[in-house]
Amino acid sequence: MSEQGIGAALTRVEARDKVTGAARYTADVVLPGMAYAALVSSQVSAGRLRSLDVSAAKAAPGVLGVFSHLDRPTWHRVPAIPYFGETRMPFSDDRIHHAGQHIAIVVASTRQQAAHAAALVKAEYEAGKPVPTLEKALPSAYVAAQGNYVNFPQETVRGTPEEALAGSPVRVKAEYRTALISHAPIEPSVTTATWEGDELTLYDTSQAVVVHRGLVATAFGLPEDKVRLVCPLIGGAFGAKTHVWGHTLLVALAARRLGRPVQVVITRKQMFTTTGHQPPTVQRIEIGAERDGRLRVITHDSTNSTSFVAERPENTVLSSVATYAVPNLRTRVRLARMNFGTPTAMRTPGDGPGSFALECALDELAHELGADPVELRRRNHADVHPQSGKPWSGKNLLECYRIGAERFGWHRRDRRPGTRREGNDLIGYGMATARRVEHHRAAESTVDIRTDGGVVVRTATQDIGGGTLTTMIQVAADALGVAPDKVTITVGDTDLPPGAPTFGSITSGSNGSAVRLAAQDARGAAIRLAVGDKGSPLHGLAEDAVDVRDGRLFAKADPRRGETYAVLLTRNRVNPLRGNGKYSPAESQYETSTFGAHFTEVRIDRDLPRVRVVRHLAVIDCGIVLNTKTARNQAQGGIIGSIGVALMEELRQDPVSGRALAPALTDYHVPVNADIGQIDVHFVNKPDHNSNPLGAKGLGEICSIGVSAAVANAVFNATGRRIRDLPITPRRLL
Amino acid sequence: MRPFHYSRPGSVGEAVRALGADPGAEVIAGGTDLVTLLRDGVRAPSQLVDVNRLGLDRLSWQPNGSVHIGAMCRNAVDDSRLRRAYPGLVQALRSGASPQIRNRASFGGNLLQRTRCAYFRLPEFDCNKRNPGSGCAALNGDGAQTALFGASPSCVAVHPSDCAVALVALNAVVHVEGPAGARRIPIEEFHVLPGETPQRETALRRDELVVAIELPPAPPSHYLKFRDRTSFAFALVSAAVAVEVSGGTVRSARIALGGVAAKPWRCLAAERELVGKPFTAPSIAKAGDAATEGAKPRPGNEYKVELVRRVVRRALTELGNA
Repeated sequence: MSEQGIGAALTRVEARDKVTGAARYTADVVLPGMAYAALVSSQVSAGRLRSLDVSAAKAAPGVLGVFSHLDRPTWHRVPAIPYFGETRMPFSDDRIHHAGQHIAIVVASTRQQAAHAAALVKAEYEAGKPVPTLEKALPSAYVAAQGNYVNFPQETVRGTPEEALAGSPVRVKAEYRTALISHAPIEPSVTTATWEGDELTLYDTSQAVVVHRGLVATAFGLPEDKVRLVCPLIGGAFGAKTHVWGHTLLVALAARRLGRPVQVVITRKQMFTTTGHQPPTVQRIEIGAERDGRLRVITHDSTNSTSFVAERPENTVLSSVATYAVPNLRTRVRLARMNFGTPTAMRTPGDGPGSFALECALDELAHELGADPVELRRRNHADVHPQSGKPWSGKNLLECYRIGAERFGWHRRDRRPGTRREGNDLIGYGMATARRVEHHRAAESTVDIRTDGGVVVRTATQDIGGGTLTTMIQVAADALGVAPDKVTITVGDTDLPPGAPTFGSITSGSNGSAVRLAAQDARGAAIRLAVGDKGSPLHGLAEDAVDVRDGRLFAKADPRRGETYAVLLTRNRVNPLRGNGKYSPAESQYETSTFGAHFTEVRIDRDLPRVRVVRHLAVIDCGIVLNTKTARNQAQGGIIGSIGVALMEELRQDPVSGRALAPALTDYHVPVNADIGQIDVHFVNKPDHNSNPLGAKGLGEICSIGVSAAVANAVFNATGRRIRDLPITPRRLL
Repeated sequence: MRPFHYSRPGSVGEAVRALGADPGAEVIAGGTDLVTLLRDGVRAPSQLVDVNRLGLDRLSWQPNGSVHIGAMCRNAVDDSRLRRAYPGLVQALRSGASPQIRNRASFGGNLLQRTRCAYFRLPEFDCNKRNPGSGCAALNGDGAQTALFGASPSCVAVHPSDCAVALVALNAVVHVEGPAGARRIPIEEFHVLPGETPQRETALRRDELVVAIELPPAPPSHYLKFRDRTSFAFALVSAAVAVEVSGGTVRSARIALGGVAAKPWRCLAAERELVGKPFTAPSIAKAGDAATEGAKPRPGNEYKVELVRRVVRRALTELGNA
């Protein structure tokens, strides 16, 4: 751990504001003359609007305007998939593709007037027959054409999978299902739009202001520099704010038509129906192995639902492609369209549901072989990437297994299921591997050193709750040689240097590298200034003979000889001294991933079987850890989220209409505090400089991958019951 | 949400008159349920009659050992004598909702809360309870939460209260006041089965107000709630049991179930299995089996039958061990 910043367990810089209510979120934005919008939702899942009567809404108190497909909005162009979620622009016709689809937007002087008027819009439908569920859609499943949205192979073959299966002495084959689940962040999506002439400013709950600016510009036919996106703090996202959704464009449209700022806070119900979800999956896995446990072959066939206005395959099969050394493989991903909203990235896209299937199948194989699940995984460790054959940039998975097994007390596991008891409780241990490809994105930042010794970091990334503001400050402080409390940061505004999105676990590595490069640039410039300045005690020294600590530059050979940044810059009248950082990921000779191992203990009352995760231990290999406090907090949150996925999360659908049955936080269950036992997180904490200059990799997703499988495997160990459908509710255990 | 009038009467008589004068009026107490129904467009009253200032928030012990709980006593009520005399009731209250909601929710409101049936709570579905005569989308829908007992072709919803289940086991009486004066309704007659009029959920007339709940002295009681997560979830199945044992023999027993019917479901057959027998594992097991008598499982809720058996057994066992 560096005393200067990296790794230090600093409390989040915005923590006090958040707990005192001083923090400003997007819904706190108030602009002069601002009006408020409410969106009207389709009541049916399929068909078309026969008529839409907005007269009562228009006549309601305070109403300024009502817009719908009848107003024929002229979108310039459909923005590029993937970061606009759908191929159909809102209000472009009278067709209904899912219940909850926006069919009108009502703008009024107050939020309440808008909500009231929205309830007065009368829609008549020509209802079609919906495809309500994935189950009903399965017969028409298909493999998507390789296109824009599809940035991974839909089918992969390695070696001769069928022959390898036929020749395998041990085989396991099973079908796993994961549920339709929803991000359910506390903060709903919010947009405030304001135009000045042809310039649009959007205050938007966005996980990627830079990416989203381009999409909005495309939709309205504006040059990118005419659109500004601002995102203050985000109150949770988990992927729901990865894409631009219809409400953002509709609010901008209404603001333009009305010539005044307009804000919408979408309803909780609309959060469940119009800002994405993780689609349900059906996954078939077959594994062939030698009797000693070495894998010969894996086949992984996965189908997920998608909407009628987007093709979005869920990349579950990458788990099977890249986790273990297996010479033969066949994977395939298929789509099945149902009349529900469009799915999107949700922590963790692909690997969440995919690792559930693969890691349960591995556990089934271990049971079949009578092998220890950890030992089976060690035996099949992928020393190089099993598909490309390239070396890993950094991999400490074996260490994760070793540390995890030791700290958890894995040796106490009895491999005979259902044998450990205490009172009414059955006790079980389970484990799973985590692996996720590390993505890289171009990112830029500036770092300014001011004459007062203060430092300002400017970069258009955003903090969605993971601690980015704090970690970026630590990266800058470390590279500059100043105390973190001298550094402030500004993010979430496209007027800043373009930063990285805050999704796909790319902020720490990519944006962190940009900040580091900018800080190094500023530090180097300051040292050059000093050694070339006759007025400086450091004059004449070689640049590399100078070090910086606590904001003071000094001669390495004689630390008494030196001066502070503040003195140097003041004397030279440089304010600020700006460093620029541009991180451009290049084609690499390495495969880069994050890794981890999860160990979990469940207890289950044998008569009243609700699974309780009393103890969970994760060992995570995500390069160097930027802040042990925010990292632990994020990992615990990710693990808790995934315990929810394992045990209770499910947005149930009406089997006839397909409509969501519990689009509310009362009934959409996530864990409550009382559901959560002890959660230990250990980090390997070795920098991966082959991945990026900072040596840090993403944590947001790796911490949750494999958790649901570890829980399911523990349930098997406790009960002898193999539950292959998530969530593992009491109903499934009775 | 539709605009509505709001009135805040200062006496029970005034509140009853306000209800009588406006057929679209509804009572608001803690508001923990009604506000969400208003927001979601499930209810659209013309007037809300606020009963928070009627002085109905008192607990009064009677000389004969019974207690009158004011209808506006909050579900967070913390009274040591209540805890000792009616442990089953306090356990039921503590198992409901969250501390924040219990601080607001009232006894009267708890009895009158509406079903959690998704088909009722989402106006885009047909529901005879919300919109009489429109049909019941739950019949062909997701059956997981539906009733095992007392359902009808027009409604399969269950009552969500924990408190009411305990009140049935404790033989409570609901005190109400209306234009014609006061009357007392035994708790078992307070909630009614759906039949062909599922919109009618209680024996309360629309211009009557619940003013208090009376609990007679009761034998030892216990409440057990089984649900999908540890707290802040409605019961899959719950059981309230009150059993009097003397000389090793059960003298009286009352057993009521939650989560299985449109009202707290009293299990007379299970009670009969206990009375006159020793309060031991074999008779408890028989009572658990008997509790499922008359269950009519529907697609999706079959799991509740076995759960009833186990929840009743566990509740009685825990009471016996207490």
